Amino acid sequence: MSRVTVAALAVIVMVSTSAPRAQTPAPAAPTGDAKRGQELFDKTYKCYACHGYDGQTGNPRLVPMSRTQAFIAYVRKPATAQMPKFVDPPEKDLVDVYAYVRSIPVAAAPADSIPLLKGIIDRRGKTN
Amino acid sequence: MADSNERPNGAVGRRDFFKGAAAGAAGMIVTGREADAAPASAVDPPAPAVVVPTVAQDQAYALAQSGATPPVAGAVPNGRQPASDFMVDVLKKLDFDYVAINPGSAFAGLHESLINYSGNRAPEILTALHEEAAIAMAHGYAKAAGKPMLVCVHGTVGMLHGSMALFQAWADRVPVFLIVGLHRNPTGIVNLPHSAQDMGSIVRDFVKFDDEATNLERFAESTLRAYQIATTPPMGPVLLSVDADLQEETIDAKERPRIPEFVRTSPPQGDSNAVREAARLLVAAESPLLLPRKLARTPRGWDLMIELAQTLQAPVDVGTYGSWQDFPSWHPLWGNGGTGYRADVTLGLEMSDMSALARTARTNGRKTISISAEHLFQHSNIHDYGRYADVDLAIAGDAEATLPSLIEEVKKLLTDDRKRALADRGTKIAAAHKDAHKRYVENASFGWGNSPISIPRMIAELGEQVKNDDWAIVSGHQFTGDWQRRLMNFDKHYRYNGDNGGFGIGYDTPGSVGAALAHKRQGRLSIGIVGDGDLNFQPGVLWTAVHHKIPLLLVVHNNRAYHAEVMIVQRMCGSRGRGMANAHIGSMLNEPAINYSQMAKAYGMYSEGPIDHPRDLAAAYQRALAKVRAGEPALIDVVAQPR
Repeated sequence: MSRVTVAALAVIVMVSTSAPRAQTPAPAAPTGDAKRGQELFDKTYKCYACHGYDGQTGNPRLVPMSRTQAFIAYVRKPATAQMPKFVDPPEKDLVDVYAYVRSIPVAAAPADSIPLLKGIIDRRGKTN
Repeated sequence: MADSNERPNGAVGRRDFFKGAAAGAAGMIVTGREADAAPASAVDPPAPAVVVPTVAQDQAYALAQSGATPPVAGAVPNGRQPASDFMVDVLKKLDFDYVAINPGSAFAGLHESLINYSGNRAPEILTALHEEAAIAMAHGYAKAAGKPMLVCVHGTVGMLHGSMALFQAWADRVPVFLIVGLHRNPTGIVNLPHSAQDMGSIVRDFVKFDDEATNLERFAESTLRAYQIATTPPMGPVLLSVDADLQEETIDAKERPRIPEFVRTSPPQGDSNAVREAARLLVAAESPLLLPRKLARTPRGWDLMIELAQTLQAPVDVGTYGSWQDFPSWHPLWGNGGTGYRADVTLGLEMSDMSALARTARTNGRKTISISAEHLFQHSNIHDYGRYADVDLAIAGDAEATLPSLIEEVKKLLTDDRKRALADRGTKIAAAHKDAHKRYVENASFGWGNSPISIPRMIAELGEQVKNDDWAIVSGHQFTGDWQRRLMNFDKHYRYNGDNGGFGIGYDTPGSVGAALAHKRQGRLSIGIVGDGDLNFQPGVLWTAVHHKIPLLLVVHNNRAYHAEVMIVQRMCGSRGRGMANAHIGSMLNEPAINYSQMAKAYGMYSEGPIDHPRDLAAAYQRALAKVRAGEPALIDVVAQPR
């Protein structure tokens, strides 16, 4: 079944998204309606399917979002075949989705501050 | 080797069909210890636990009124025995602990002998609610137990129900022993469509061997042959068709055929000259890479893989899907060598498709080697054998059985200078892998407190709860990515039971139940992380787990969709410029959302959920695990992020 194909590719993408977080300079503040953008993200365009309901947990992760105006152009004509082409949404919708994505907290808690994850890193470290 | 593997009665012991690999370069020719030593009459069938009863007149009358075919004509005459009793004696040669069935009249004779003549012991019947579940349980069981489970299905309809699971076992190269009952001379509106002139042809594309037992002597020989073929690498499911009339015949002692001894076949090993050349290439390589796939069929294979990697100080990349547990996930050499590591010699071990690797390597002047029993595969209508790979060195042989000689050749070639160079390489690789693991775990913190629950949170919380248990993940990790192996220390051969083989949905839940049954005997804590889509294919197996008291924690990764399909259809809609408004139709499992906790309760299983916030997860795991540790199955429904 073809269910696997996307999953396999998703993992490849995930590996490539482990860049340092919150290092990119913040782009200009978005002008859209973030609340409406979340509705569109979750329900109308179902962006969560790949990117997670929060933009943080999917593959690829959307935050930190460094794109500015290029965001809309990219969504309409992505550089990768794995990203659907969203050609039909009105400009306003994509502006709002962008505003929502930009509103998602950029920085996750440091792993060292989460005891459970710190324990994993420490235990793995002892195997070397 | 042979002595240690044989039971006093000549039956096959646990993992015995794998043990040939441990013989390594020494080879192994196993013969039946008592073959031809005893006349047929010396075979001691177990005493019947219950005398076959005469069918009461009123029962026969009721059956006749119902229109069903009376399965039993009357008491067995003195001095005679049902032929299906003899069949059970043959099956007992093969040390089947369990037989999974969904009942069918075409094997009623055998069914009756199993419960009354054999006393429902060795094999014990597992009641499955669907033939696909029965065979998928056998699939998961075989990988965890190291030996096949017997499955009986009804003619045509039962086999068609089970065919999907049979295909998965085939694609996973896992032995399952399937008996299908049929009516060779069918009469009546029911039996006619449940019979076929060539029953095996229905599934012949994905069984390694099939035969029809036309008499008892052939039943005995074909049973032993089928088991032998199933358990010789490359392994696979086998099928025996057995006529209902033959099962229900009676025989006397003089008519009882001899039951041959079971002779285990040693696994094929790679040619010694080719193995020597492989060793030369690997030792001379500056940056070798080892790619095991379904290599470690036994703990011995696991140990050998570690020994090879450590001797070469080479990274071991077990890949994404399709692998069994081949190498410890927190081992310093587990990984691809780190950023910038460019393999100049790549060794695939039971890797079914090296075509892309081989093409790239030839372009770049690098070398590829394949050691695999796949090179011995003779037939397939299904393209699971992958594309043609023009590797530099293709060695036909079971990789696990070939590893001892490969390691020996590698060690012969290692000078002290070379050992020092390899040690330096290993140090660098270990550091790179340690750093990569840390970055990976750091990524788990994204969405850590969010709802729906993130996949890494779902797994990390679970790992924390079982870190002091002797646990085994008995489901695949197709839809949870690498998180299981990154966040939990897969440091034992049995920690992971592998994926479904054929990339079809519906294996994980019944396969987990089968594997958990095998681990129950070892006192291991079994955990299945299954998708909601998967669970919906065979939910009835929850009842089987409860009924047979199989301890297993099932964690439902509930993303309320056939989620990969959601993404695929979105892409299709986008590529055709037709918008996303309808992209969800046909792929979502909501409106209403399915309550898997209630589903489990309906089958009598302890359950909790739906749990959609991470703060509730640890306590739910604790309560469910308490049940599992006490010997029960339990289910936790986790509403989680899609991926």
